Amino acid sequence: MSGAKVKMREKKMKNQPASVQYPSSPLSMETGTRSGDNTPITERQMKVPHKGGWVRGHQKDGSGYSKEMPKYITAGAFARARAAEVSTMLKAVTKTTGSSQVFQALPRHMRRRAMSHNTKRLPRRLRDIANRMREKSLQAGQKKKKELAKSKSRKARRRHGNLLLEFNRRQRKNIWLETHIWHAKRFHMVKKWGYCLGDRPTYKCYRPCYRAMSSHCLLQDLSYYCCIELQGQEDKLLYALSQMTSKEAGPTFAAALCLSGTRQGIVTVYRAGQYPSQPLGPVTFLWRPRTDGSTQRQLWLWAHPTLKQDLLPELQSVCQCCEAVVPPVPPVVTPAEGSPPPQAEPENTCETVPIPGTKTKRRCKDGSGPPAKKICGDGTRLPGTPVTWKSSSTGIVINDLTMEVIRYRLIGPQSHTVLVETLNAATDCDGVSKSEVNGPLWWPQHCKDENQMALHKKQTDVFHILNGVHSTGELPPGTVLGLTVDDPRLTLPTKKVKALPCVNQAQEVDEEKSRQLILRGVPEDCCRSSLWEASVRDNVTDNKISEQELNRMKSEVLVPGSRLSPTPPQGRIPILLVHQPGKQVGNEMSGWGAGWDLLLPKGWGMAFWVPLVYRGVRVGGLNMSLKHSQNKAAPHFPHDYPDCPAGVRFQEEQEANLLDKFKRRPPAKRTNYIKHGCLAPFRCSWQQLAEEWELLAREGGGEGGGDEQTQSTTNTDVVMKTMTRSQSITVTKVPSIFTVLRNRKSLRLLCGWCRPTSSRDRRSGRVGELPPLSCSAAASFTAAHGMSLVWVRVSLLTKGRPEQHALLCAPSAEDLKLLGRKQESSGPLEPPHRDNFKSGIKRQKKGAKKAPPLSSESKESDVASKTDPAPSEDTKSSLQPSSDLILGIWPDPLPSIISHCSRLTLGWVTQGDFSLSAGCGEALGFVSVAGLLNTLLNQPAEHRGKLLLRNPTSLHYRLAKVHIEV
Amino acid sequence: MAEPRNPGLSSGPLMNPGQTESSSPAVEMDPVEYTLRKRLPRKLPKRRNDVYVNMKTDFRAQLARCQKLLEGGGHREICVHGLGLAINRAINIALQLQASSQGALQLAANTSTVELVDDLEPDDPDEAGEPMTRTRNNSAIHIKVFYPDPQ
Repeated sequence: MSGAKVKMREKKMKNQPASVQYPSSPLSMETGTRSGDNTPITERQMKVPHKGGWVRGHQKDGSGYSKEMPKYITAGAFARARAAEVSTMLKAVTKTTGSSQVFQALPRHMRRRAMSHNTKRLPRRLRDIANRMREKSLQAGQKKKKELAKSKSRKARRRHGNLLLEFNRRQRKNIWLETHIWHAKRFHMVKKWGYCLGDRPTYKCYRPCYRAMSSHCLLQDLSYYCCIELQGQEDKLLYALSQMTSKEAGPTFAAALCLSGTRQGIVTVYRAGQYPSQPLGPVTFLWRPRTDGSTQRQLWLWAHPTLKQDLLPELQSVCQCCEAVVPPVPPVVTPAEGSPPPQAEPENTCETVPIPGTKTKRRCKDGSGPPAKKICGDGTRLPGTPVTWKSSSTGIVINDLTMEVIRYRLIGPQSHTVLVETLNAATDCDGVSKSEVNGPLWWPQHCKDENQMALHKKQTDVFHILNGVHSTGELPPGTVLGLTVDDPRLTLPTKKVKALPCVNQAQEVDEEKSRQLILRGVPEDCCRSSLWEASVRDNVTDNKISEQELNRMKSEVLVPGSRLSPTPPQGRIPILLVHQPGKQVGNEMSGWGAGWDLLLPKGWGMAFWVPLVYRGVRVGGLNMSLKHSQNKAAPHFPHDYPDCPAGVRFQEEQEANLLDKFKRRPPAKRTNYIKHGCLAPFRCSWQQLAEEWELLAREGGGEGGGDEQTQSTTNTDVVMKTMTRSQSITVTKVPSIFTVLRNRKSLRLLCGWCRPTSSRDRRSGRVGELPPLSCSAAASFTAAHGMSLVWVRVSLLTKGRPEQHALLCAPSAEDLKLLGRKQESSGPLEPPHRDNFKSGIKRQKKGAKKAPPLSSESKESDVASKTDPAPSEDTKSSLQPSSDLILGIWPDPLPSIISHCSRLTLGWVTQGDFSLSAGCGEALGFVSVAGLLNTLLNQPAEHRGKLLLRNPTSLHYRLAKVHIEV
Repeated sequence: MAEPRNPGLSSGPLMNPGQTESSSPAVEMDPVEYTLRKRLPRKLPKRRNDVYVNMKTDFRAQLARCQKLLEGGGHREICVHGLGLAINRAINIALQLQASSQGALQLAANTSTVELVDDLEPDDPDEAGEPMTRTRNNSAIHIKVFYPDPQ
């Protein structure tokens, strides 16, 4: 019985007399077992209070009534027991149960409309009771209202201090970004990864957002990305980090340009020394430019919050940093290595500043005292959680800077225009503030240094040259520019304007200089920024002018609406601008989605956000960042990394969500995925796929190496055979874990093989040098990467919109022939499958109603025996329906994946949609390397790289072209 | 010089300078060691009557677009720009326009050279060191299609 039902029951039985407790005589007590007279009654009733009332029907746990008859009955005791029962029954009959109205006791033909409203419609004998009940219910209503009124008035609740307290309370569990309130008013918020994040706007803007990305500018708050700072000797840092990366997978932390600090890099990190297995995920990193003559370096790693809980312990072990430096607040020592709670808030941050969160919490408790302070940074972290770890042996210091640096992302060709318009390079401070040497502000002191000012001037010049650039995609990818800017609130336009490139101004800017910028990027010394200094960051955060103060100053300006002058000395903020490369792979739409990242010290989030929004940018949420990476043909972090721990966690979550959604539909309205031949509608079992293909490749390599032209139809037979064998094999041996192929050289090889040989690319230059696809080459490749998956982009040749978890299949020879004959043919159909489990489910249901005491084992065996003789092609091996059958989904031990449908399954799509940039359906997914090579070998040269794609809810295969890009 | 994406029109892809593959193999680079990434051609500010021709959009669509500008759009003149492989097509469009107007339109062609930027990323970043940036030139054509002034 569910909780709600129990509650309802309790309410109903409120007025009823308690269950009969027959006062058992001492005699019967001592002769408890013997006195069969009242056992049937008392036993039951003793049990009843546990279960919360009488329960209808047969009870599973209790045997109910004892079977043996009593030998004798004591007449007096028996009569007393019955008398008590009768009296309670009479009492119960006369009383109405709690929830029922008086008129419900009336027979139907005597009921009248609106009886509860007008008691005169009731028969007179019932009127009194009804009146009394009505009065009671009225009173109850009033009481409720009174209770509400006890809480503070809206006005009181909205008072600033109280509101802050409330906000602080609400962000104790999930971290709020600084733009949270802004987002919460406009976005559907989701709680994810320990943060409250905007998923998508509440207004319709899918296409406008796409247009903003491709022609103007889209803004996103990426502050939830976690920043981890490493400090130490350069060679030691590089040595430690090199254990986590491999040169085979592309540039590492040591890449020359990145190391100098002029470029941002991106790298996939692995568990130490484990490459190519056990990847953790992608990390973007940024080196601080070298200061003169010092080998001490500083490195920022930016990681997704779900990645951080794996990354941080790994970094600590690699750098041998296990001494936690406890912040000097209350000395509560917590173990540094303590594994973070699974997918709890990515723990914690800040540094040594007094923690605002804890203070406010304390204030919340005593309820008095000074007004609450706004939480700045991470509010969920416990006080005393270490955020810094250092190593005595290597001298490396790891610093967790989560929520310390704000990161905004501007995507689109005009993002630099928006930046140029919003930001103004910091003005030199005037003589007065310069003279006060020991002021708390950083800028006047900074101004005193001649070198710094020269650098600032240089940076400002570079920033102005940006005006002459026409599109963000023209710049060298990953460029970094440090800058100090004025408070952007000072130049806030009174109205929202759209930042457009100024044509005339563009001519003014020196053509030669902008050409240099485009070719060479930003000079090395201009990449420095004071943002790297923790002290400056804190200084800037602490000395921010409040909005209120600023408005007051503005109101005192003589000419309303003019700019504040002189600029208040607090308003200089060090920032970093980091260029984000656009689409880098593939031939079409190169450079799409390039943009800039804006890095700010914490506390200044809204001060920059609103001015940016006033420049006519669109704001996107999580949803848009997914679409951005999809259009950019780049993998998106937790979605497209099924081999990383974070990716696995994400998949589990997603499966639970999808299954939950599926179960909410009435069974008759659900898609029957079994009939569609879809084994994994909610979760792709990559491991099983990789294993099966690896097995097939190993066996197929021995037998069918010679006949390349084997039709896949005959191939299926082989598969079938091997699959039945595989069932037994996989049980015995422990298979290796699948990996995703990230080796650059191998990917390039595959990339060449995937193209049709007749195309121009094949003949020209580089690709020609690769070994052509042959049986032996493929075999050696499979031997090396048999258990691997490869990330592919698939674009549909005809219509169709791929969905999540669509199947990628190998086309048969007939399909390709059909394609050659008729270009418009939309693709083959999958014959509908039979749902052999349906009858089982029905039987289960029926059985549950009819014969309750039937044990579950006998039921299952019954189903199995019933379904086994059915002419199913591939279900027989694994037909053991578990007790929780869900209509339309395969029960857990899946049958052989690759030969389940009429075409061989190669892999699945992780995300797919109609791509607005390509104008056709596009999907990103993974296929098994062994399977792909097998397919490519069997395809004629002109059709090489064509696959079939089928949505989980459809029987229609669509032809698609596969791209592997490096 | 290239195709700035026009917000009002279809988001056609940029003319891909890479289609002129012939100029790419340079002497100093070892193709195995580097990955070549082409950057976008530089963009110029665009007027309403500028048409940048590419190789991906359907020819008829581009022709129709020009005709619409001349007839419906009320422009006395339009500029058709083509880069690299698209030069042919730009000329073709201009000639078709002229032919269909029964001699009312006149053409004035200009050629120019556009500087394009390639990035060369070393595959083995530690030893090879410096990633290179390389410029190469490509031809472009700008055809003015206009109604001559009635004297």
